[in-house]
This record gives sequence, structure tokens and C-alpha cells, in this order.
Amino acid sequence: MDLSSVGDFFSGLLESATGSINELLGQAEVLLLITRFLDGALAVLLPLLAILVIVRCARSLLQGRIESETWGWLSDSAGGHHILHHWEVLLGRSRRCDVVLPDKSVSRNHAAMTRNDKGEWILFPLRNKNGLFLNGSPVLSALRMKSGDRLRLGGTELVFQAVTAAQEEEQAKKRTRPGKVFSPGVTLFLLTLFQAILCLRSVDAVDRDYHQSIYLSFIVLALLMWLVYLIYRIFRRTGFEIETLAFFLTSLCMTVTAVSTPGTIYTQLLSVALGLILFFALSIVLRDLELAKSLRWPAAIGAVALLTFNLLLGQTLFGAKNWIAIGPLSFQPSEIVKVVFILVGATTLDRMFARRNLVFTLVFSAFCVGCLGLMSDFGTALIFFVAFLAIAFLRSGDLPSVCFMTAAAGFAGFIVLHFKPYIASRFSVYRHVWEDPMGMGYQQTRTLSAMASGGLFGQGIGEGWLKRIGAANTDLVFGVIAEEMGLIIALLAVLVIVLFALFAVKSAAAGRSCFYVIASCATAMIFVVQTMLNVFGSTDLLPLTGVTFPFVSCGGSSMMACWCLLAYIKASDTRQNAGIAIRLPKPRRQEEAVISPAPPIPPEAPQQNHFREDPDTRAATQRLEQVAQTTSRWSPGSFSAHVSIHREDSSPDEYL
Amino acid sequence: MKKLQGRTWFVLLFILLLLGGTGFLMYSYVTEGGEWVAFKANSHLYSNGQMTTGSLTDRNGLVLYDGETDSYAQDEDIRTACLHAVGDEYGNIVTGGRVLFRGYMAAFHPLTGVGESGNTVALTIDAKINELAYQALDGQRGTVAVYNYETGEILCMVSSPTFDPYDSEEVLIAVNEGDERYDSVYLNRFLSSTFTPGSIFKIVTAAAAIEELDALDSFSFTCTGSMELDDGEITCPSAHGDLDLAGALEHSCNCAFGQLALELGGQRLMRYAQEAGLLSQLTFDGVTSARGSYSVTDKDLDLAWSGVGQYTNLVNPCSMMALMGAIAGEGKAAAPTLLHGVTSPSGLPAAIVGSDSHSIGWSEETCQTLKRLMRGNVTGHYGQQQFGDLPVCAKSGTAEVSSSEQPHAWFVGFVDDPEHPYAFVVMVEHGGWGSKTAGSIAAKVLTAIAETE
Repeated sequence: MDLSSVGDFFSGLLESATGSINELLGQAEVLLLITRFLDGALAVLLPLLAILVIVRCARSLLQGRIESETWGWLSDSAGGHHILHHWEVLLGRSRRCDVVLPDKSVSRNHAAMTRNDKGEWILFPLRNKNGLFLNGSPVLSALRMKSGDRLRLGGTELVFQAVTAAQEEEQAKKRTRPGKVFSPGVTLFLLTLFQAILCLRSVDAVDRDYHQSIYLSFIVLALLMWLVYLIYRIFRRTGFEIETLAFFLTSLCMTVTAVSTPGTIYTQLLSVALGLILFFALSIVLRDLELAKSLRWPAAIGAVALLTFNLLLGQTLFGAKNWIAIGPLSFQPSEIVKVVFILVGATTLDRMFARRNLVFTLVFSAFCVGCLGLMSDFGTALIFFVAFLAIAFLRSGDLPSVCFMTAAAGFAGFIVLHFKPYIASRFSVYRHVWEDPMGMGYQQTRTLSAMASGGLFGQGIGEGWLKRIGAANTDLVFGVIAEEMGLIIALLAVLVIVLFALFAVKSAAAGRSCFYVIASCATAMIFVVQTMLNVFGSTDLLPLTGVTFPFVSCGGSSMMACWCLLAYIKASDTRQNAGIAIRLPKPRRQEEAVISPAPPIPPEAPQQNHFREDPDTRAATQRLEQVAQTTSRWSPGSFSAHVSIHREDSSPDEYL
Repeated sequence: MKKLQGRTWFVLLFILLLLGGTGFLMYSYVTEGGEWVAFKANSHLYSNGQMTTGSLTDRNGLVLYDGETDSYAQDEDIRTACLHAVGDEYGNIVTGGRVLFRGYMAAFHPLTGVGESGNTVALTIDAKINELAYQALDGQRGTVAVYNYETGEILCMVSSPTFDPYDSEEVLIAVNEGDERYDSVYLNRFLSSTFTPGSIFKIVTAAAAIEELDALDSFSFTCTGSMELDDGEITCPSAHGDLDLAGALEHSCNCAFGQLALELGGQRLMRYAQEAGLLSQLTFDGVTSARGSYSVTDKDLDLAWSGVGQYTNLVNPCSMMALMGAIAGEGKAAAPTLLHGVTSPSGLPAAIVGSDSHSIGWSEETCQTLKRLMRGNVTGHYGQQQFGDLPVCAKSGTAEVSSSEQPHAWFVGFVDDPEHPYAFVVMVEHGGWGSKTAGSIAAKVLTAIAETE
């Protein structure tokens, strides 16, 4: 099942060619050669298909330029326009505000404006010195705004104009549809082929008794995948890359289940189906920001109750007391709490400035991490902690505090290790696993050995031995995949997680609300950290903590939670018709669009982002800059003032 | 929103950590994968705790062990002679090639992992020479080893007692029952044992005397057959009469070297033993040799005997051989190695082999002088004709270990010829006279090696 079998085949052919063809046909070895060739071909085909699927998805996800949306304008007295690109905008003198007002009488973060799903805009006063006025009257608390309203921030006057429904629809049409360049149907077809090979090879590897259930499970998995795709088509959604990648990982999980514990394959399949339902449910909730926000308290209370219940009545499995059994069903509450954790942590712009809100998140996080610590589930506790750090940093931008919290957590961890030496013993072999291969280094040494044995193309599905070790199909799943399916596929699984995270970061540029951006970035963090703890823990780059690989590790709760979390990433995907988690603009009647009095949509302003912009966008930027130079009221004289403000921006006061 | 967007680098940082860690893992995979797959739990390569892939051959390609068929060399004497170089069925000989080189035998390639067939590991030893050395030992315990001091390759390495690896099971039972025939049979005496050196230690004393006392020109001594000291006497088998340093070494006069030891003092002798590498461990191919020892008291008698290589001195044969190589190389030689080459199933080289260098703290001039003196030992005392044309420089040793038993016989030295750059050590436990018992074995092995070229 390695490359050499391909070579063997050709060398075999060459040898045979020297003899006569008749002789060759007479040999029974021909059949053997053909099967060997097929074996070799399949071993290469599998990673090839995987690469194709992932590259198609990756290019579709990352290649497109970042298109910002336009939701309104603020016009100044000199005729300049400030475009409102998001549903949540910050107004102030600071360079990092969404609407930068270079006027000394304007405070750094003067005011915030948010738009809700119904298209209503609300104005929030922030800490400002010279006051905020709407149509001449001072604004002391949140106020509704409508098109044509006059705003005064200190000495700057602005006129507000929101996009009309017709313009919104027109804008949505102009945005690039995902799947335009890379048809999701073709990608999905390739993935189905990939699954078919996985299925056939798994069946080959296991007892006859399980053949039927494995065939059936893979067929249902493929059908589920195509069903989701069909639903997307029906609802005119075309962004299917994230889901395809998740299905790719899920296929690996099903294969590992089939060869390691074939008896549980239906349970695993069921968890995928339930996970998909949860994914859709959360997607629908996230369409309505107000609904999502209103669910935070009940969800938090539910999570606290669940964790408390778990702590008191939970069961100990694999050394951690993190299981609850209800009848025949057993699950890990911590996986469900992950989903709630993000919902509670994410917040909208207006609330980012309220300290009370962060305190609530802080207390809730501390409770979760504390409970998990008491359950001895340190891996999950660490994931929650890192997710909390990410949320805290995204919300506050306060790096010193994040460092301080890390140090404090490190100190707390040190105290725990000091008083509970049996936990410390887990880390005693870290980076020295080969010195104790029968004790604390048992799993890591075996993972490394099995992983290296597989090479790039694997020993063949079902041909490995690592899966026979306890909890191998969850904690050591990276090694199991590398051993049987090859390192290429194992690395691709890691790459998929990286793609999820990169996409979350990319989407942040065009994110409508802070809520979605924080949620998708926090989800990305959870996925990335889990992958790191799983892969590096089992290969001794980090201490082994027994954490699952998102979507790939076997286990019901983990699979469901991962699919559910995926909805957060989808909710930040603002490409046209990308997914269920974002509403399409409601179609309007024709005449309304014609008589619309609003100014035309200005050219799209490019966004600062970590990704390279394509030439089109760069050209657009240059054009826009030229326009700005000729029409702006910032004459060369006032430019120096702008520069001085620019410098002031670096003061620590900037970090809210 | 722009503020928030500016903070997403935090997520990118973790993505970079994940990618960086994965990169590091891949680097380790390429560099250490061979060791990982050689792990005993890897059932792709092991069955019942024994590697079932790869093979070990001698330097000429003669198969000594084949993993796929679990079979050894065809000739029984070769099997027995090469036991300690190859290893036994149960891995009890931890310095055997089956244990030391299993990482090489497992054909790991970063692209394909491990396949059905393993690598062929060629050892530096010549099985035929080993067989000859084993036969020359004629059942006596001890060790014979020869290495090329320019390349470091060990051509001959025999340790006795030994057994046929096909008898591993019977021997294991016998060892567990305390059978004396197999006293510490799993130890490779060449690598893992230390013995009283006897007169071969006089090389160290002579080196110290040359450098510290200018003894080559100034030393003169009259041996009366014994030398009285405060608490006892140093004795020689016979009275050697008037001697200079060369004569004292040639006749291996205990009294003269006792006198030199007294003049040098224990600390200086210990330093020279240290500089010679006799008190440190030698590490090569993943194996570490046993450490020799030297100690002194304030008693003159102990000091005098220690200068003669008795008292509590112990040396390891491998370190001694490396010292001989270093003297031949005038202070510097190749460190020993057992790995000749690794060939993948497709016939391509699968590993880069080579040896480190081994140097001693003695000056070039001292080494040259010692060469001359040791050459004189052969021409003047041991007899050149047994070595044919080979310009052998040597020192014998007859180490008293107990009054009831025969002394250990030693013969160490080297061939001072760029065409035949061999250093050797022969040690026969309770073999009697060094030059007679051990010297004749050395002569047989060296002339045989010279003939094979």
C-alpha cells in the first residue's frame, strides 16, 4: 500500500516485457500485479482527491477580494461622505474609528451607531467632552435615528442617510457570489468519491458482520451532505466551502470509527445528523441579532446548571469526571457549554464599552474553567481559558490585561500542581516520552511510531495498530489517520482547521456586527487550540491533555458541538447568499426602487485587512484617494492637524 | 468595527503557532522518524518483540542476520564468532547490532514510512576474520578486536564466552541456572568490561616519564630482580640488569617502572591515564564503552605497583585499542565505529555513515617516541617473524589477578604502516604470558587481515 508498489508494478512490467507476451498472459502473477497497481493507485488517489477538495474550497474562501458593504452615509457640510460599512460603527477622532472626524473638539471615541436586522439605526453617546446632539437636542442615552437626521459631535455637523431597502437589494446583487469560480457541486462530487474510497477500504478492513452498517453509514453521510447542499440551493445559498471542509473532516472521523469501533458507527452517524440540525438551528437564531442577544442570559443560566449538575452527579470516564449519562445516552456537558460560552462572550459594539458586561463574561468564564478544573478535565479548561482570552482581547484590545490574566492563570495552575502532585506527574515525561514508553509516555511514543510508519501515503486503512490503544480514536486520532491514511491526509485535516480560522479572520473585515466577528474569531480560536492540544499533545510537542480534534475525533458530543460552532463562522460570512445564517434582503417592488431619493452607492472603499488585495481593489483605492483629494475639505493646511491627531492615537487611552 | 478588526491578529498568532508547531513536528518526523519506527511496540516491524525486517551483513555482504526470515549466518563458527556484534534472539546482548542498529534496519523513508522490506545494515566487521579470531581463542575467555585507525572501522570484534544464536533459548535457561560456562556471556567484553591491565599500562607510565622526567635520555636503572620499599617489594621474574627506558619497556621491567612511578607521583600518572582516554567512556554508534579506573594511596608500594599496571587499575579493551590507534596517529585517530553502510531495499544508500575523531592529550613527539619503543619491543623481544612483513608496534601485558589463577594475557599495539593502518587489542582471561598467548592470536589475525587485501 505504499508508493513502492507502483514502482514494483512498473519494474514488474519491464521484466515481463523481456519475456514473450504469451508467457506473460500465462502467469497468474499478472493478476497480482494488477491488484498491487490498484492498491498503489488508490493510495495516491486518496490524498490527491483530498488535496483537490481542499484547494478548491480554500481558493474559493480566501481568494476573493474582501468586499465591504454599505449601510449608510454621514455627509459633512463640505459635501464629504463617510460611508458606513458595518452595522456597528464608531465615530470619533481616533484613527481606528470607523468614521474618523479630524476635529479637536471631537473625542477619540465620541459616539457609536448600530443598525439592527430591521434596518433601524440607534445612536449611542460614549464618553465625550463636548457633547453629542441629534437634531439640536443633546443625546444622553441610546436614541433611534432616521435618514436626514442631523448629528453634531462637538464642532462637527453630519447628516445621516441610511441605505434604502432597494439599494440594499441592489448592493446584495452586486456582491460576488461564492461558488462562482469554483462550483461547489464539483467539489462535493470529488468529496463523494473520496468518501466512497474510504468506505470501500474500511469495509475491506473489518469483520463481515459490520459490512452492512459501514456501507449504510457512509451512504447516509453522503446523502446528508447532498441534502444540505440541496437545501442551500433551494434557499439560493451558494457558499458551501465551510460545510464541505467540515464534511471532509467528518468523513475521516467516520473512517476511524469504522476501523476502530465499528459497532458505534451508527451512534457516530447520528451525532453528525444531530450536529447538522443544531447547525441549522443556531444559524437561524444568528440571523436575528436581537434574538441571539436575548438568548444569552437563559443560555448562560442553563450552562451553569448543566456544569453544576455535571460536577455533582457526573461520571468519570478516562480519568475526567466530565460525563453525564441519561438512560442509554451519555454526553459531555462541556461540549455544549462551549457553544453557550461563545454566545455569552460575543457582544455588540455599544456594549463593548460597558464594563459591567465584561464582568459578567469574566465571572461566567471563571465558573466554567473552575468547574472543568474540578472535573480534572484540564484540556477543556485550557480551551475555555484561551477562548476567554481571545474574547477578552477582541472586546477590550487590552494586551497588558490579557498577559496579566495569562500570568495569573499560570500561577493558579502552578499552585494546583504544587498541591496535587499526581497532576504534575502527567507532565513529568513532557519532551522525554522515550524515557518512559511503558508508563507516562505510553500513548505519545506509540503515536509517533505509528505516525512515522505510515509515511505520506499510509499503511492502508485498517492496517494500523495504533487504533487498538485506549482512547486512540479521540486523543490520538492524528496518529491513527497518519498511520493508516498517510501524513498528507493528516496534515490536510490540520490545514482545514487553519482555513476555518483564516476565513474567520478574513470575514472580520466585512463583518456587520462585532457580535458576529467576536463569535467567529472565538470559534476559530477554540478550533485552533483544540487542534494544537490534540496533535501536539499526542506527539509530545505539548503535554498530553486528552482533547478532541474538531470534527475528526470520534465521539458524539464533540461532533455535535463542532457542527454547532460552525454556525458562528458561517454567520460572519457576509458574501452574497453565502449561507443560512444571514438573511437575504427582502425583495421590493420595482417602483420603490426607481423613486428612491438616496444618493448612488459610492465606490466600495477597500478595507484594511491581513489579506492581500487584488489589483481591482487597489485600483479602486487609488481612484477613491484621488476623489478624496479633490473633494475633501481637508486642505493641505488642515492636513498637519490630521497628522498630529494621528500621533496622539498611540496613547494608551486609545485602548478602550 | 475597525478597532475589532485590528485585534484579529490575536487569532492569526494562534494560527501561526499551529502552523509553526506542525512544521516543527514535520522536521522531527524527517530527522527522527527512523528512531520512532524502530520502537518495539511498532507491530509493522516487530513480532514478539523482535524486529522482523532488515538484515545485518558483514563488510563483505555476508548475511549475519536476516530479519524477514529470522535467520543467522549459515556457518556455525561465524554465527558464534559474530554473536556479540549481531546480538541474540532475545535482545539480551544490548550492544548487539540487532539492538543498536534497529533504527537503520527499519527502512524508514519520510515519503513512504516503513515498507515490507527493511534496510541492509553492513557492519564493519569481517566475519571470516572474526571466525579466525574466535578459533584462535580456542574456547578461552577474552576478547580480540582490530580496527582501522584511519577510518575507524572495527574489522574484528570477538568476545568470549559466546554461543550460537540459534541456541539462545538453551543458553538463557543455562544462564538463569547460573551455569559457569556462560559467566556474563551477554556482556561484550570488548565494549562493556574492564580488566586489570598489567604491563600494557607501562605505556602510560612511559609516556609520563618521557614528558615529565625526560626519561628517554636520562633514565637508567639496574634491575636486581626486586626492589625493596617501605611496606613490601616490587619483583621481576628475573634480574634485568642495566636498563634505559627502551630496555625497561622491552623487558617490561617492573622494578624500573615502579621506580618511574615513584618519581612521577600518583597525581601525574592519573593525569596521563586520563589524557590517554583510559578513564573516560567512548561513545559511538549509540553504544558507550565501560569506564576504566586508576586510584592511588599515599603508600609507595601501591604507587609503584600502579605504575606497573597492577594495584587497582582497570582498563576497558576498547579504550585501550583507541589509545593504540591514537599513538599510531601521533595523537589523533578515527574513533571506532561498527557501521559500514546502510542500503535501502532499492539498493540506494539509506544513511550517511562515518566516524568521529578520537584524540589524546599526549604530544606528537611523545607518540613518536612511544612508537619507536613499541616497535623495539617487537623486533627486540616478541619476534618480528610471526607478523610477516607488518611493522607491528606492541606491548604485552601479563596481569596478575589472583594468586590461585593464571594471569590475564594482554597484547596491544598497532601496525605502523599507512597501507595497513590497524590497531588491535587481544585479551585472554587467565591466559598466562601476554606475549605468548595473546601475541600469537594477534599475529594470526593481523596477518590474515593483511592477506585479505
